[in-house]
Amino acid sequence: MNPLALSLILTTLLAGTLITMMSSHWLTAWMGLEMNMLTMIPILMKTTNPRSTEAATKYFMTQAMASMMLMMALTINLMYSGQWSITKMTNPVASNMALMALMTKLGSAPFHFWVPEVTQGVELTPGMILLTWQKLAPLSLLYQMATYTNTNLIYLSGLLSILIGGWGGLNQTQLRKILAYSSISHMGWMLIILPFNPTLTLLNLTIYIMLTLSIFMILTNTFTTSMSSLTLMWNKTPAMTIMLMTTLLSLGGLPPLSGFMPKWLMIHELTKNNSIIMPLTMAIMALLNMYFYMRLIYYSSLTILPSTNNMKMTWRFTNTKHTMTLPTLITLSNMLLPLTPMISMLE
Amino acid sequence: MMYVVFIMSVLYVVGFIGFSSKPSPVYGGMSLVVSGGLGCGIVTSSGGSFLGLVVFLVYLGGMMVVFGYTIAMATEEYPETWGSNVVVLSAFLVGLLMEVFMVMWLFSGEHELVGFYFSGLEGLMVLGEGGFEYVREDYSGGASLYSYGFWFLAMAGWMLFVSIFIAIEVTRKRY
Repeated sequence: MNPLALSLILTTLLAGTLITMMSSHWLTAWMGLEMNMLTMIPILMKTTNPRSTEAATKYFMTQAMASMMLMMALTINLMYSGQWSITKMTNPVASNMALMALMTKLGSAPFHFWVPEVTQGVELTPGMILLTWQKLAPLSLLYQMATYTNTNLIYLSGLLSILIGGWGGLNQTQLRKILAYSSISHMGWMLIILPFNPTLTLLNLTIYIMLTLSIFMILTNTFTTSMSSLTLMWNKTPAMTIMLMTTLLSLGGLPPLSGFMPKWLMIHELTKNNSIIMPLTMAIMALLNMYFYMRLIYYSSLTILPSTNNMKMTWRFTNTKHTMTLPTLITLSNMLLPLTPMISMLE
Repeated sequence: MMYVVFIMSVLYVVGFIGFSSKPSPVYGGMSLVVSGGLGCGIVTSSGGSFLGLVVFLVYLGGMMVVFGYTIAMATEEYPETWGSNVVVLSAFLVGLLMEVFMVMWLFSGEHELVGFYFSGLEGLMVLGEGGFEYVREDYSGGASLYSYGFWFLAMAGWMLFVSIFIAIEVTRKRY
């Protein structure tokens, strides 16, 4: 893309999310979401094959429908309460409709169907922006309006997301689809803790974004998009293969890595509120996620598949891809657990 | 006369069904013109005569005209109309049936619906009762877009500017 057009589009993408996150008026929040959606489309269509066009079309259709539902919820709220503030959506029709619209934008079940298809149809970098940056704006709105929504709907969608994120990712060999189902599952965890302690939602979002950015950057640096390319990664960059292993374990929520922190604190918070069955189900379903991460780790780091001898010693070319923030991100995504008492700064 | 807004809104939905059943864009554009005109009528009847006429002018007179010209450039030999394909016809009829059911359900009982009253226009007019104050709300709303709400205007203008770039990027030739 022309650099000037690309910088314009990325600036507007940033501006859209920031406008939504900074707004207290529903109309400006909706405006920021629309800016986000419109400027995401050429980013998704950066490659010239029909698959990305189809993915961008699917993204546009689902997000436009969600924005329409959100606008309807806003006007119903305006009609019944006469005000536009985000935190006081007291009408149940309006708040439930807005909740469903925001869940569609986030890609949580039962509105998750677009996430694997859109993530698979685009390259790794637009997929990275899709799964990390695009979660910020809807979650900031959800964080503000969650007190008046029907919590049963939130629990249902969260549990369904964890289930579908776990089971859906089991049969996948394409890494982008695996990360899409991982995103659905993490959205489920974030949704469930929202009525109990919204700070943990933000904590989970932060750690999830760090982990997903690390994994996407590792994959971008080694040009791997499927599990078969993963098996050849040990040859090119053994350090990144090991880092992929630890980051994937962290994504699955294994102690003593950082991914354990949000899961531990969430289960703690849920049990403090006398809810036993739900965190039990959530923790068990997170094991499904852990299974396919372990499969990726097995094929990338723990096993070397049979190959001819000349493939075992590759010529090391200089890396032309930028790895600027990758060491920081990998350190953060693996070693943040001892800093758990610092979550009080998120309050 | 108080049913006029209701009838217009029902025909508005029927117009939407007309293009949602996916005929050729030639006929879809015509249906959109009908819906747009009726929407303008709804806005005008609810007291916002200025904004309704702005809708007519800009939406129908600007955007639909450009849409119509671009469709005329991309038209095909046998455009699909509502009667040519059984899929389109059945989609239209199903939508129409749903609308008829909804209207019948509305008239069947005294439901407290989403802002739907037949006792006048105050249920449909969000801006307040009566239109004979010192300042008309629709005019002052349009004016405040340029005074208090100039950042809205700036963002709207910016998005229109960026959407040109987006449209050009999306319609670039793909090999």
